Amino acid sequence: MASRHNIRLLLIVCTGTAVIGGIVIRDLQDANVETQEHYRRSVHGLQRIGELQYDIQETRRATLYALTTSDSNLQVVYADQSRDADKRVRDAIAEYENQSKEPAETAVARRLAEDWSKYLAVRDEVLASILEGSIKDAVSLDLSNGVPAFDCVRKDLDTVKHLYDQDAAGRQASLAASSRRSVTRLIGILCFTFLLSSIAVWNIQRSYMSGTIQLARLQMEFVASVSHELRTPLAVLMSAADNIADGLVEGKAALQKYGAILRHQSRSIGDLVDQILLFASTEDSKGNYAPERLEVGTLLAEIVSGTDELMRKAGAVLDVRIDGNLPLIIGNRTGISQCMQNLIGNAVKYGGDDPRIEIRAFLAPGREGSEMVVRVAVTDHGIGIDPSEIPRIFDPFYRSPRVRAAQIHGTGLGLSLAKRIAEAMGGWISVTSELARGSTFTLNMPIGRGGETKAENLQTSPSPS
Amino acid sequence: MKSLITAVLVAGVALWTMVEAGATLGAGTDVALPEQGTPPEPLVIVVNRMNPVDDLSFADLRSIFLGSRSYWNNGKRITVVMREPGEQERRVILHDVCGMDEEQFKTHFLRGLYTGEILVSPKTLDTPVGVRKFIFNVPGAIGYLRESDVDPTVKVVRVDERLPWDKGYRLRVP
Repeated sequence: MASRHNIRLLLIVCTGTAVIGGIVIRDLQDANVETQEHYRRSVHGLQRIGELQYDIQETRRATLYALTTSDSNLQVVYADQSRDADKRVRDAIAEYENQSKEPAETAVARRLAEDWSKYLAVRDEVLASILEGSIKDAVSLDLSNGVPAFDCVRKDLDTVKHLYDQDAAGRQASLAASSRRSVTRLIGILCFTFLLSSIAVWNIQRSYMSGTIQLARLQMEFVASVSHELRTPLAVLMSAADNIADGLVEGKAALQKYGAILRHQSRSIGDLVDQILLFASTEDSKGNYAPERLEVGTLLAEIVSGTDELMRKAGAVLDVRIDGNLPLIIGNRTGISQCMQNLIGNAVKYGGDDPRIEIRAFLAPGREGSEMVVRVAVTDHGIGIDPSEIPRIFDPFYRSPRVRAAQIHGTGLGLSLAKRIAEAMGGWISVTSELARGSTFTLNMPIGRGGETKAENLQTSPSPS
Repeated sequence: MKSLITAVLVAGVALWTMVEAGATLGAGTDVALPEQGTPPEPLVIVVNRMNPVDDLSFADLRSIFLGSRSYWNNGKRITVVMREPGEQERRVILHDVCGMDEEQFKTHFLRGLYTGEILVSPKTLDTPVGVRKFIFNVPGAIGYLRESDVDPTVKVVRVDERLPWDKGYRLRVP
């Protein structure tokens, strides 16, 4: 029970850890993707702004280079370079305008495009003057119109850079916030995992401790019970021995009576010791019960006849009914006998005031309804068992508080022993009970493969055995 | 017998002479044929696309290329673009438009610039592409290109109301 509980706890911890691990990994992945995206956008943005700045300068630089030569061929080459750079600038401005999301970005993109067009108009005139050979006109035009127009472009470019810096700072802040969230989440998850693990370990430890304590308690109860069971016959024995030793017993009849008492009590002690030894030996009892084919009727007749004295002393009335044509069962004669003696002994012990005890043997489906089994049910009409106690009655040394209160003697080993023996033979014991109405304990035994039967219908009418 | 031999020799010499003469004639024919089969390509007068001028007379061309006329009707200064001396296209312009050879042309400009009758000398460019780009950049530029070198970056003008591909167009490069 405890180990099942522990496995469940371990499963919960493992599942929780796996889920939490998944969440943590996902979180880290998201943060990583976000960082990469931020880096990519930053690098790309800076690269594009740098290229734009370079091409704007290149447009002007190439124009001014044309001033430095009087070779028309070279001047045409510089004009070409200026126009190529100008085309790249216009493309970059268009791309910036397309990608701009904020109204401020769109506005500055449009202003930059307009200012660039104004500068280009001046640039074209300057180039024409240079190519015509009017250097003075070209310089004058550039100083009067080109420089102011280019300054406007430069200011626009500064605004673009400023907006980019703002955007990058915003993204940086968002990334930092995201990172903080991730760390907080991670710490929370670690705390939760630690808490869950601690609870699991604490539960496992507690269940282990409670199991140990329970075992120790049962052992103490067992020792007390055994001591009590031993003390009663021992007291009788000592008392009888004292009387004989003190010469208080005179006459043959008295001596015979005392002898019978001594023999009975000695047997009681012997039986108790045998039961304890048997329980100890059935700890691993698989190999102790060699299977054999047994005929139920004959076997039950032998067992019933062995309980004659018990029935007589208890005043119980045994009603045995065995269905005809029952197949041979697979079991061990000694084992079945020990089981049945325990079940019948319990029926007598807990039968209360109603002396009737019924034994029924019949064919019935097995646990899963696939194979048939022979069931031997022992029914009493006594005190019954509380439903809450039924799961525990097969535990070793368990004795119901109600039974202890009623001062019904026992070791708490009988049912546990019977269950172990039945299972060692491939069978099992089932129970149905109703408080104050009685209980039925059933020994279920597997049948032989051939389904051999022996035509026999043993029916014993209610009679004291 | 002697006369027969002489006759045979004479006939042989005559035959050889005929063969040699035929081979020489054949070779001369082969060289001359391609020159006769390749038609001269039109030399196109081009201006900046912004220039409103569509048609120029031969006289206009002459005054422009000789620097006598310095401004267009819209007030833009005329900038003449020429190819390097020795180029076929330049020879055609000098010969057909200016009616000069290279030396006369140079002398004319030296004298004009010296006397102040001419404001600027023509710009000289190495390649047709250079000519095209120059004209594209300078609103008042005028130059010439082979028809195969013309593209939409420049504007073709009529000469004496004829386009280069019209019948009777006078400017052609051999």
